[in-house]
Amino acid sequence: MTATLPRIKLPPSTHPLAEIVHRLEAGGAMLPDTPENLMQIIGLYKAYAVPMDFYWRDLLYIGEQVFVDPFAFFKFIIPDEYLQLHNHYAGDTADLRIWRGEATAHPELLEFMQQGELKRKLPRILHHLWHDRINMEFAEECMRAMLWHRDMGGLLDPYMDSEEYRRNADRAIRAYVHGNPIMTGLYKLFPDMFMELCRQATMYAVLGLFWEIMAPVFFEMSDLYDEGKITSVPEAMNFLVNGIFAIAGRPIYHRVRIRGEWYDIVPKSKGFTWLYEAAFPYVEAVFYRTSPFRGTKSYNAQANEIPTNQLDYHYGVLYADKFPVGTAGIPPTLLHQDMYHFLPPYLVEYYRKFCRGEEDMLIQLAISFQRSMYCVTSAVIQAGRAAFLYPLDDPNPRHLAMNRRYFEGQLYRFCRPEYGIKDAARINAIQTQDYR
Amino acid sequence: MADIVDIAVGNAAFSTLVTAVKAAGLVDTLKSPGPFTVFAPTDDAFAKLPAGTITTLVQNIPQLTRILCYHVVPGRLKRSDLAAFQSINSVEGSPIDLTITEDIFEVNNATVIMPDVEADNGIIHVIDTVILMRPHWFWPIMNSFAAASAR
Repeated sequence: MTATLPRIKLPPSTHPLAEIVHRLEAGGAMLPDTPENLMQIIGLYKAYAVPMDFYWRDLLYIGEQVFVDPFAFFKFIIPDEYLQLHNHYAGDTADLRIWRGEATAHPELLEFMQQGELKRKLPRILHHLWHDRINMEFAEECMRAMLWHRDMGGLLDPYMDSEEYRRNADRAIRAYVHGNPIMTGLYKLFPDMFMELCRQATMYAVLGLFWEIMAPVFFEMSDLYDEGKITSVPEAMNFLVNGIFAIAGRPIYHRVRIRGEWYDIVPKSKGFTWLYEAAFPYVEAVFYRTSPFRGTKSYNAQANEIPTNQLDYHYGVLYADKFPVGTAGIPPTLLHQDMYHFLPPYLVEYYRKFCRGEEDMLIQLAISFQRSMYCVTSAVIQAGRAAFLYPLDDPNPRHLAMNRRYFEGQLYRFCRPEYGIKDAARINAIQTQDYR
Repeated sequence: MADIVDIAVGNAAFSTLVTAVKAAGLVDTLKSPGPFTVFAPTDDAFAKLPAGTITTLVQNIPQLTRILCYHVVPGRLKRSDLAAFQSINSVEGSPIDLTITEDIFEVNNATVIMPDVEADNGIIHVIDTVILMRPHWFWPIMNSFAAASAR
């Protein structure tokens, strides 16, 4: 007989989502660990990473070069230098190599940019107007959510209201409008508007730097799955947790290039980090909150259907009603359209078997995407637990009780009765495969 | 008596911390009259961080400096002084949560394994985990389900 120390166990949770609380305590994710879930989420990470490779490059271009242009008609026409820009986390030149692939734009992205869905090499403007392109509108919607829900922790939010930020911005805006009497006049007339455009440009850059990391993370996960090295949902989640820690300290900054000269708006020397000034605010603003449009329903603010406190907003992907209301201009649907072009063959095969086959592939992939984002959110919750609290196998019962309080608090965000939050959350739906 | 840096350099358990403090250029600050209260993570504490975390921080000095500054509090504060507070502001700016009872001395999620090491220019409390800033939404999330259950 071998004697082993029994692992300390807390009494069962009384939370409405107790089963999921216990799963998180055992090192699992909010998404159940099944091969079908794993295939869906990894397939969607791959399909997301290709357009994301465009998003981060164009976001940086807009933040660094389009800057405060109030008439930015061509901001989605990305210059070649940004497609050649080396990702700091992929390729031979990486600071920390996360993806074993190349540092420049992904080959599938470049191929799509050439031919589009039409598979015809037409002038880029025609592809653009036909929406046969990567739809930056989704990326901008995420940026706006972050700009609108600014106070999600971190030091960037107070910094953007500081005198130092205003000075930096003013210097860059003056250089930007220099020699252009109309723009100079506009800046004199509407200085606050330009300052707000500058904050928006900062947010473009922040989101670009955030996704610069997520794209190689998702590419690598897809490759590891294809090689048989990621075999379960918790393994996928833990890859994300480790990734979050590895690049937590990556600098978040904003600089602008005007006539060949760089101007710091948010200098690297402020010590702002990927985890605190980009990742946590992104998750809080985009996954949970965004803006009152869940897909199929209109809201009446006068009838108190919209929370008076912005912190209670709950219109993010975790609560989204994945129904095809998609006409042009509905950002999540545009994202689904973007991912549709880059689905791995095993997912296309899979979707053909269900519902109405290819007819509703956009909805099916949207729901797989929602599952994949529940996995990413699980990783963020576990990373938060590891950063702020205790290991899952901590021998101290008081520490385990703190972990439970944290998990129960996080999951309560999907159970709150106010404003129909409980009914909107899709956490119960993703527990089975019937939801597709 | 030795200063904070001398004590850390003289103890083999702090080699990672000493390397980090040197890389961040904080040696002169921590040798200055201060006084400072330093929560000093051991090598074992740093080793608990997942691979890559330190590499990224060492590549980015202002970010490393910020994390280190979160481990420093102005003033000379012994355990008995800290016991009066639930949290205390770090040099980084974010608060550090304190749990201090007769048999518990914890800062955030770290346990103080050796309190009240006296230096010329301050006090060192040795901790078993690198502490990281808790965002402002941490406690509202921790309290939300308990508050709802109580209602």
